[in-house]
Amino acid sequence: VISGSNLEQVLTSGQFTVTGELGPPQNGNFDIVRDKARILKGHVDAVNITDCQTAIVRMSSLTAGLIALSEGVEPVMQVTCRDRNRIGIQSDILGASALGIKNLLCLTGDHQKFGNHPQSKGVFDMDSIQLLGMVKTMRDDKKFQCGDEIKSHEPRLFLGAAANPFADPFEYRPIRVAKKVEAGASFIQTQIIYNVEKFARFMEIVRDLGLHEKVYILAGVTPPKSVGMARYMKKFVPGLDVTDEVIERLKGAKDPKEEGINICVDIIKQVREIPGVAGVHVMAIEWEQAVPEIVSLAGLSPRPGAKTVEPRLRSSESIELIVSNAKEGAKAEIEKALEQAQASRDLVIKEKEEITSAISSLKRQTEEATAIADQKETEIKRLTEELAKTRAGRGHAQAAKGLASNRESIALSSRERRALTSVRSGLEALRKGLGINEDQLEALRRFFEAEFLLHSDTAEQVTIPFYEEAVPEEKLEKPEAAARRKEVVNLVAKGNVLLHKNDAAGALDAFEKALAIEPGDQKAGEGLKKAREALESAALEEKAAAPAVPEGVPPCPEGLSSEEWQRKWVIRFVATGNVCLYKGDVDGALKAFKLALELEPEDEKARAGLLKAESGLIAPVPVPAEPEVPEKAEVPPTPESKISPVIKEVKAEAKKEAPVTTPITGIEGLSFAELPKETTALSERAGSVPGNQFTEPCTGVIREIRLGEGEKALTVGGASALPFHMFEGDMPHAPHIAFGILDSEPEDWPDVLGKYYSDVFSDPVAWARKCINDYGAEAICLSLVSTDPNGMNQPSSQAAKVAQSVIEGVDVPVILWGCGNAEKDTETLREVTNLIGSHKVCMGPLSDANYRSLGATAMAFQLPVVASTPIDVNLAKQLNILLENLGLSLDQILVDPSIGAVGYGIEYSYSVMERIRLAALTQQDEKLQVPFICNLGREVWKTKECRLPSNSHLGDQERRGVLMEAITASTLLLAGGELMIMMHPKAVALTEALIRGMI
Amino acid sequence: MIIAEQKPLDEILKMISGIEKLLVLGCRGCVAVCSTGGDKEVGILASALRLGRKKAGKPIEIDEETYVRQCDPEYLEPLKEDGKNYDAVLSMACGVGVNFIADRCPGVNVLPALNTSFYGANLSSGEWAEMCAGCGACILHLTGGLCPVARCAKSLSNGPCGGSVGGRCEINKDVLCIWHQICEKLTSRKQDQLLREIVPIRDWRPSGHGGPRRRIREDLLP
Repeated sequence: VISGSNLEQVLTSGQFTVTGELGPPQNGNFDIVRDKARILKGHVDAVNITDCQTAIVRMSSLTAGLIALSEGVEPVMQVTCRDRNRIGIQSDILGASALGIKNLLCLTGDHQKFGNHPQSKGVFDMDSIQLLGMVKTMRDDKKFQCGDEIKSHEPRLFLGAAANPFADPFEYRPIRVAKKVEAGASFIQTQIIYNVEKFARFMEIVRDLGLHEKVYILAGVTPPKSVGMARYMKKFVPGLDVTDEVIERLKGAKDPKEEGINICVDIIKQVREIPGVAGVHVMAIEWEQAVPEIVSLAGLSPRPGAKTVEPRLRSSESIELIVSNAKEGAKAEIEKALEQAQASRDLVIKEKEEITSAISSLKRQTEEATAIADQKETEIKRLTEELAKTRAGRGHAQAAKGLASNRESIALSSRERRALTSVRSGLEALRKGLGINEDQLEALRRFFEAEFLLHSDTAEQVTIPFYEEAVPEEKLEKPEAAARRKEVVNLVAKGNVLLHKNDAAGALDAFEKALAIEPGDQKAGEGLKKAREALESAALEEKAAAPAVPEGVPPCPEGLSSEEWQRKWVIRFVATGNVCLYKGDVDGALKAFKLALELEPEDEKARAGLLKAESGLIAPVPVPAEPEVPEKAEVPPTPESKISPVIKEVKAEAKKEAPVTTPITGIEGLSFAELPKETTALSERAGSVPGNQFTEPCTGVIREIRLGEGEKALTVGGASALPFHMFEGDMPHAPHIAFGILDSEPEDWPDVLGKYYSDVFSDPVAWARKCINDYGAEAICLSLVSTDPNGMNQPSSQAAKVAQSVIEGVDVPVILWGCGNAEKDTETLREVTNLIGSHKVCMGPLSDANYRSLGATAMAFQLPVVASTPIDVNLAKQLNILLENLGLSLDQILVDPSIGAVGYGIEYSYSVMERIRLAALTQQDEKLQVPFICNLGREVWKTKECRLPSNSHLGDQERRGVLMEAITASTLLLAGGELMIMMHPKAVALTEALIRGMI
Repeated sequence: MIIAEQKPLDEILKMISGIEKLLVLGCRGCVAVCSTGGDKEVGILASALRLGRKKAGKPIEIDEETYVRQCDPEYLEPLKEDGKNYDAVLSMACGVGVNFIADRCPGVNVLPALNTSFYGANLSSGEWAEMCAGCGACILHLTGGLCPVARCAKSLSNGPCGGSVGGRCEINKDVLCIWHQICEKLTSRKQDQLLREIVPIRDWRPSGHGGPRRRIREDLLP
């Protein structure tokens, strides 16, 4: 015997053992631990008390273990190496041992990273194996870890350890168990088992090592409470192997909780068949109620009674219980004694009566004797007279006769004396038997003697009945009555306790039982009445309370008091109300606040909210331009859903009135005013400086190109001066911005850009419409990136269909931008032209590799094209000449000089564009008098600067990206760019504001 | 080598608020090798601080200097006087340098520009990892040259904990389970007997839990 614990006894007896688990609360609530212990009591042989599991602060395992012990539940105290060093652990172990804890499970402990104090310093002075060794040394060698002797009262603990058959490396796991056994473990509890097959393999190795004969192995099982819990364990708990079968079973179940219990029972039955498994460790995490059912369904109940579970410390309540039990016992004893006393008194009275009757009979006898004596006297008198008469004659004979009869009378009085003596001794016996005190006896004795003295009479024996003669009968009946009485008292006490606990139904039951045994019991009667009253008032209360819970509050879940649950819902309703207020939804707010007040009429926030909602005092709602980044993996909210309907209408109206003005959507801190327009003419500002000193009039004009069709068609180009040099010439059309979208979900867009479109990524038409409707796009540039042979390599036909649906699905001009592979682009763009018929669409890029084929197509359908060349004046010019030679008009060509983002070669792009524009405007280079198209968004958003997350050094990522894009665009605008392809709505808004300010 | 990381700029700016003349002092030792406190970083930090102070409307005068090492007395010699010309010296050395300046150069207000992180190796450009904890009681001969004290989240001595899955540590899938590696290494070398032996509880005194550490070599003492 190591510690003599119940767990040790059950294991050594060879019975299949069951241990449970009790997670202490995250507070100091004694009752929670006690209640959990009571649920488990009698259904398991011992209960593990966890030591701040998953590194969350909880009541210490020592304390909670002692509470469990005080309830008669044997604890297995868990101790980890995470929070205490060898000094702390040894100290706790001494304390645990002193207070009657007999089992210890030695663990390394979950890393503090997983808990609610990830900032804490992990101690890890030792590991679980070293911990086992340390405690074993304390127990067996009576030495502390340092080697100092434990002079007496060394801790006698039954040691256990954990094993995870599902962690890696698999082959090492049984070896580690062997190390733990060698270090001191007498039992092993495993990680939760769902994969029984793998566990069986583990056990095979364990048996090969002979470990099953050295250590008791308890298989860990847990009933999954829901599919969610099973998935969570599978996904997030390292080293836990939840099989798909378990998840499927839960998914298909009507009642997942019941199925969870069934799964657990099945696993218990399976592991029980594996040789070397000594028992199960049932870990019903925060679901202790399931344990009795599991144990019973698994055929493991009843458990052998825990005889050795003897707490050293008791809770005040259990002390009270013991005291009250003792009181009841004492009371019953006293009552029994009283009954006996009463019986004795009755007996004495009866005896007295008998004696009295005996005395009266004696009296009678005495009277008779007196009468005889009188007769004798009369006779003596007569004889004397006769003697006197016959004195003379026959005198002698007569006298002799008279003397003889006198002698006779003297003999009688000596018999009387004997009778008196026997009365005395009889009384003495009576006194002894009845416990009559001396005074009483003396009184009796005198009474008898007086009677005798007064009426000395016959010497008949006075028979005195014996006390013992009556008692045996009494003895037979009394214990039964006492037991009945005791039971009635117990039932009444139980009823009162239940009544006190508000369990009126239970109390009613108890009182009724009491009355059934003892119908006249006054206390039980009173209790019954009280219980009935309580039941009635509870029913009334329930009725009254029922309508107070408004619709929409689901039933209170387990583990929460109804107050807590109600409080949660009040907060939830108030929050809903506030959101409604914020959105301008007065009805919604009124409803939410009213619901909250129904639950909690005193809630100030709800009241204030209700007042606000009633008075219609709704704060002006700022347009939240930025859709929130979805924090959870839910469908991301579209920006519309964040905007109240009122605002939406206003926005729509504003758009109708002034379609040119796109509302400027600014991030906080980036909202900017419209740039002030310069109203004073340059000539005025120049003062006396002659105009020819600061102007350089141009001689060329950039061609105008019309994009799209109908009302929303755009014209680009037409400038007869350098960009924004309005003092030198004309710039009839402001530069335009097209929104760049993709035909497939972007793979590498940073979140700060992607969040604006993530809801429409899968649908390019919706994406295009979102750009137009929400962000005011004037044109769309659809990039057919999916066709890239080096990427997804989608077939041209598919991309063409997407392009067609976009072109036909929007009314603004559309630019189709190929993947950059000349051959594939030719194929795709041709396919598109076949599908779209007479729709006007701009196509690109045309390079020296495919200009012939695509040029011909463009010529046939009269479509504008993008001529793309790598940052070179001469190459740009040459491609234009080639296209013109092919038969295309320069009025159909937009030049893409290839551009780079700020910091990524923009200076080259700028320089080339500037030179092209100067040649076009001042040197009449006709072949270059075409507008520029700048596909810049895609360049900007792939830079490192747009991808690095926010930090103090580089600032906010989104703001940084927006500025990168807007600054790139403004630079290219100054170089002569006429059509910008951009992506971020805020960058577009910013650039548009700049353009408006410059024109 | 010692790996360090520059403190956030805002923290440094707050640290030097009120200082008008500053010396940014680099070190060509470890911190230069890990691209945190060498000549180049001194230049960048000094520029950033000038910009930051200018933006705040409180321009600052900053000189730049880099010593061969800040942890040897002979290199610190010039700072004893030169340091007094500044309101503060912002050391870009590891904590050793900052301490040593504070010890050796009374009257010099020394401030740390870096957070000293760990003893590590350079995995690839821009990536360093901890390899040693300086525990003062090396057991690498028992663990295939891989250190569980520095590289196991729980500094375990007797094999991988139950959180080791697929060769990864439970605290983060990007962290290798060093014990998994030790197991593989020792098994492949047929040294797996080492894995079966119980390693006794450690004496942590040499790792600093016995107080500040000092080493003396009599034969080298002056």
